[in-house]
Amino acid sequence: MPGTAPDPTPLRVLIVDDDDRSGRKLGDLLRRDGFVVEVCPGGLAGLQRLAERPLPDVLVTDLRMPQIDGITLARLARTHSPTLPILIVTAYPDLARRFEGADPKIQIFVKPLDYSTFVDALRALPRSA
Amino acid sequence: MPSTAPVLETRFAELKRYVAFSAGDAALLADFRHTAAPNFERIAQEFYDQIRLHEEAHAVFTSEAQIARLQRSLVRWLERVFGGVYDEAYFAETTAIGRVHLRVGLPQRYMFAAMALIRASLMDLAEASSPRGYQISRAICRLLDLELAIMLESYRDDSIARVQHAERLEKEALGRDLAQTQHRYVNAVELARVLVVGLDDAGVVHLWNREAERVTGFRRDEALGRSLLELLGVDPHGEGVKVQSLLAELAAAGESALPSDRPPTEVAIFTRAGRLRVIRWHFTHAPVNDDVVSMFAIGRDSTEERAQQDRVKQQERLAAIGTLAAGLAHELRNPLNGAQLHVTELDLALRDIAGGAELLETVHVVRDEIRRLGALVTEFLDFARPRPLLVEPVVIQEVLARTVQMVTAQAQASRVAMTVDAPPGAVELQADRAKLEQVLLNLTQNAIDALTGGGRVVLRARRQPRTVTIEVEDDGPGVPPDAPIFDAFFSTKSHGTGLGLAITHRVVTDHGGSIDVESVPGRTLFRVVLPIAGPQTPSRPIFGVTSDE
Repeated sequence: MPGTAPDPTPLRVLIVDDDDRSGRKLGDLLRRDGFVVEVCPGGLAGLQRLAERPLPDVLVTDLRMPQIDGITLARLARTHSPTLPILIVTAYPDLARRFEGADPKIQIFVKPLDYSTFVDALRALPRSA
Repeated sequence: MPSTAPVLETRFAELKRYVAFSAGDAALLADFRHTAAPNFERIAQEFYDQIRLHEEAHAVFTSEAQIARLQRSLVRWLERVFGGVYDEAYFAETTAIGRVHLRVGLPQRYMFAAMALIRASLMDLAEASSPRGYQISRAICRLLDLELAIMLESYRDDSIARVQHAERLEKEALGRDLAQTQHRYVNAVELARVLVVGLDDAGVVHLWNREAERVTGFRRDEALGRSLLELLGVDPHGEGVKVQSLLAELAAAGESALPSDRPPTEVAIFTRAGRLRVIRWHFTHAPVNDDVVSMFAIGRDSTEERAQQDRVKQQERLAAIGTLAAGLAHELRNPLNGAQLHVTELDLALRDIAGGAELLETVHVVRDEIRRLGALVTEFLDFARPRPLLVEPVVIQEVLARTVQMVTAQAQASRVAMTVDAPPGAVELQADRAKLEQVLLNLTQNAIDALTGGGRVVLRARRQPRTVTIEVEDDGPGVPPDAPIFDAFFSTKSHGTGLGLAITHRVVTDHGGSIDVESVPGRTLFRVVLPIAGPQTPSRPIFGVTSDE
């Protein structure tokens, strides 16, 4: 529920979105709900972050981004972690679904994002050790 | 004038004139007859003796008896020749002898040889017996020339007859060939699947084939003698000008006026029934001088082809618009997303602020409108770029049950009673399950939405030999008559997108089915008929683009 007390072991969320305003706003909302959030303003920045450790608990990415798109980012994320949950937030769900089929750890959310559904999905994710 | 009118000459008189046989000759020969007659037997004897010496000539005769008979004939002939009377009867007798020669197949050269022998004998006799021997010899020569000429006439008559006969046969054969050739050409023109029109210099119709009749509806007797352009109602200020100048150019300069690779001229015409057709014409110069037809117009009905081209162009245009619209729709989601996130923050923040409740209501309106826009984008993309059908065996009762399950909460909230009326046994058909569910959900939700004061909705399914009929019936106020309910963006609901029924219609027709509606106040029934065998042709997106983005 929005506004509840922070979780004792907060979920670390990495948001990658080339639309910086949307990315940051989603980050604000999630922090408010007790998540630990990092925001990368594009695929390339997201890629650099994924090379660092520790890895986030979940990757939230836009799909269509210049340079490195969300699918490329998701593929590379898989090379770092075979189990990392990936949530794609996109205006092009059909495009994302082609990739999703092969990976049960990928969920797709269509823009405009219904925030409460999204938060419920994040909360339902199993916590990695 | 009578005095100079040509005197009609008998053939005999003509021949006499030709060989210059005169009355004087006749008189001379009459005198000579007395000297000559005692020698006729000897001359005939000598003649046949000569014949016997000539192997080839001798071979003509079959026996000595025949020779003896012919020898007597020769004597009689000599007596006749020197008879002194050379009239038409004489001519007729000599002609008869000629015919006998002809009939027995005597070669003409034998006649000449024989005549030369007899001539020599008679001339010897004349020279020897009379001081006027030379004149008599000349008369004998002319007389025998006359004999030969008459007999040769028989040969000539015969050869003329033969030639005429041969000519007649040839002509008959030629006539048959010509008739056959003509028949073939007529067939080619009449059976050709092109319009063949013969025109004179003024563009008046003189030939009108069957295809021209079929395409234009004008019968031959209606077309002949009329101006082609007038007959077919060709716009005299538009395309008519082009054709008119083309015809004039052809008429004036003939074939040279038109290069053989000249593209056809497309002309819109009106048929007898007033229907518009597009004909593609090739105009050809007709190289026959003694015929009024100086040009041929060969036309092909290209209406369907043109329509097809137009359809393709239209589809391409729609595809371009569709791509653009879909791109726009997709991109709308990004700013909507930004707006939504900010509104969400506002929503959460206002909850914590005292007195924020009124503002919260405003924020919720914005939130709902953003959601509505998002839904519109999704439905629009569904409509513009449907995913291909995923056809599988579907049990209709399962689809109905799932629909009821999905709308139960909504129905209860709206105080609507849901009923399913379907056969007990499973009714299976080939269909896209998800899309069929979408259809039933759309129709059922529409029905519930229409029942603002509560009511009853019945979902019904029936099986026919080849089809399944699904009905969604409600007891609401009904849809306005003639409302274009299946058109995109038409909606009677204040919050509808206007795409629900358009998508429904599309899914049904993509399945090869049909949808119609019966509506009176108190009873509205949407009826979907789907083929059990499923769609027979692959579905095509409305804008002619695939669902690939």
